[in-house]
Amino acid sequence: MKRKLFTVLTFARINTRRYFRDRTAIFFTVAFPLIFLFVFGGLFGNSNNGVSFKVALLNQSSSQVSKDIAKELNDGKILKVNSDVTTIDEAKQRMNRGEIDATIILPQNFGETKKGTTYPSGQAEILYSQNNQQAAQTLQSVLQGEFKAINAKLVDNKEPFTVTSTQTNDQSLSSFDYTFTGLLGFSIMGLGIFGPINIFPELKKQGILRRFHTTPIRVWQYFSATMITQAVVGLFAIGVQFAVAMSVFHLKLVGNPIELAIYIVLGIMMILGIGLALGGWAKNERQAAPLSNIVVFPMMFLSGTFFPRFLMPEWLQNVSNFLPLTPVIDGIRLIATEGKHFVDILPQLGLVSLWGIVIYAIAFRVFRWE
Amino acid sequence: MTDKPILVVKDLQKSYDNKKVVNGISFEVKKGEIFGILGPNGAGKTTTLEMIEALRPIDGGSATIDGIDVASNPYKIRSIIGVQPQSPAFQDKTKLSELINLFAAAYGEKVNVQEFLADVDLQEKAESYIETLSGGQKQRFSIAAALVHNPKVFFMDEPTTGLDPQARRNLWDLVRHVRDKGISVILTTHYMDEAEVLCDRVAVMESGNIVALDSPQKLIKDLLKRGFKKQQHVEQANLEDVFIDLTGKELRG
Repeated sequence: MKRKLFTVLTFARINTRRYFRDRTAIFFTVAFPLIFLFVFGGLFGNSNNGVSFKVALLNQSSSQVSKDIAKELNDGKILKVNSDVTTIDEAKQRMNRGEIDATIILPQNFGETKKGTTYPSGQAEILYSQNNQQAAQTLQSVLQGEFKAINAKLVDNKEPFTVTSTQTNDQSLSSFDYTFTGLLGFSIMGLGIFGPINIFPELKKQGILRRFHTTPIRVWQYFSATMITQAVVGLFAIGVQFAVAMSVFHLKLVGNPIELAIYIVLGIMMILGIGLALGGWAKNERQAAPLSNIVVFPMMFLSGTFFPRFLMPEWLQNVSNFLPLTPVIDGIRLIATEGKHFVDILPQLGLVSLWGIVIYAIAFRVFRWE
Repeated sequence: MTDKPILVVKDLQKSYDNKKVVNGISFEVKKGEIFGILGPNGAGKTTTLEMIEALRPIDGGSATIDGIDVASNPYKIRSIIGVQPQSPAFQDKTKLSELINLFAAAYGEKVNVQEFLADVDLQEKAESYIETLSGGQKQRFSIAAALVHNPKVFFMDEPTTGLDPQARRNLWDLVRHVRDKGISVILTTHYMDEAEVLCDRVAVMESGNIVALDSPQKLIKDLLKRGFKKQQHVEQANLEDVFIDLTGKELRG
C-alpha cells in the first residue's frame, strides 16, 4: 500500500510542477476567470453603493439661490452632472441617445423673491424621455429632498407626519456575492471539465496514456494523482480570485477560511470526476466535444454561474437545485459570504458527496487508456 | 544465452469481427535472446505483441512470461516487462529526470536517475525538457524509461522507424547492451538488414500465422538450398556504407 501511495504522490508532485510551467494552462485557470471577474464585477459591483444618475443641468436663472443649488447638485454624489450640455435641444438629443437619464432645468425666474413674499421661490423642471420614467421619479424625490432642506431654512414649516427609514445591520447579500461565487463555479468547471476533456484525448492521441498502461499503475492511482494536482491548482486559482475580489471589489470573507478551502477542494474533486469520465471515455476530440457541451451548458446557465438562480422561475430553480455544480456554488457562497459552517450546509455537502460517488463510479467504468 | 525459455506462447489467437488476425501461433523466446518478429503490415505482429504485453485480451491459447500466465495476472506481467512503443511520446514540459522518476514510480520504485540516463548517454540532458530532444535521443530516452524497473523481457515495436543511419546503428548497440544485461528483447521491424545483424532468431508472420522461425543465417541458407539465386553484384559495399563513410558514424542530435 505504501508503494501504491508513493506512485500517487510522485505523479501528483511532478504533474503539479508541470502545470505551473504551462503558461497556457495558467492563463485559462487563473487569468481567464479574472477577466470575467473584472467584467462582471464592474457590472454588478457598485450596485450597493447607491444609485447614480447622469443628468444635464440647465441653469437659466442668475439668482444666488440657483447658483447655490447648481453647485450642490454638482458636488453631490447622487447625480453625475454632464457639464457639456448647455441647450435644451442638445439635452434632448443626448436623452434620446441614452447618454443622460434626465435634464434638470432651473428656469429664468428661479430663486427670485416674488412680490408679497419675503423669501425666494421657484419651480425646477425635470425633463425626461418615455424610457426614463422611473429615473425621473427617483430624481424628483431626490430633488424634493434637497429642496426640503432649503425650504426648512427659509420658512418655518411644520410637518406632523413623516417617514424615516433605518438600515438594519444584518449582512445582506449584494448581487456581487452571487456574481462572484457564480464565477468561482465557472472556474471550477473550467478546471475540472474543460481541462480533462481537452487534455485526455490529446494524451491518448500521442500514446502517452497507453505508455502508462504498459506499467502496473492502476486507474485509481492515476485518478488520485490527478485529483491532488487539480486540488492544488484549483486552490491557487481560486485563492487569487478571492484576493482580487476582496481587494478590488470589497468582498467580505466572513466564513472560516479552512472550512471554505476544504469545501472548495471537495467541489473541485467532484466536478473533476465529470471531466475524468468524459475525457477518460472519449477516444478523441470529436467524441469529447459534443458530449461535454451537453453536460456543461445546462450547468453553466442553470447552476448560477453567470446569473443568480433567484432570478429564475421556481420550477427551474427546483430542477437546477439538483445539478452537480449548484450545491458547489451555493455552499461556497454560504460559507464565504454568510459565514455558515458545515453543519448548516448539510444538504449541499450531501449532494456534493452523492454526485461524487455517482460520477466516479461512472468515470472508473468508462476510462480507456487509448 | 541459456536455453531456458522466458516467454512461452502457445496457440495464441485473436479475432476482430470474426476475422482471425492471429491464427493460433506458438513460439518460445530464450533468456538473453534478441528475438525478431517480421512480416508485412497487417500480418498480426503488433496484435501479437499487445496480447503478450497484457494490453489486449487474449481470445484463445496462452502466453506465459517467466512462468506467469499473462491473461490471469496482467499487473504482475506488466511489472516484469518493459515496453517501447512505436513512436515514443511523453508529456511535454517535463524534465528527463522527472520522467524517469515518474516511470519508476509507476512501478512503485525509486531509482538513481543519473545512472539510467548515463546508460543511454543522456546524463547531461537530465534537466532538459523532453520536447527539446531529437528523434534519436527520444528513442534512447524511451529505452531508458522502459527499463527503470529492470524487466525480464523488453518489447520494442519498430524501434528504428524514422531514424537516420547513425541513430539506427547506435540503437542496435543499445539493444545489444540491453541483451548483455540478461534481458530478453523481442522486437518487430520492417528492415531485414536490421533483423539480420541484430536478431538471434526471427519469426516471419504472414496473415496471422508464423511461416518460418529460425536464426536469420539458417533461413538464408535454407533458401539458397532450395536453389534461390539472386542477381549478384560484386561490390563489397552498398549505398549505406557510402553514406556512413561520408557522414561518419558519430551520432547526431
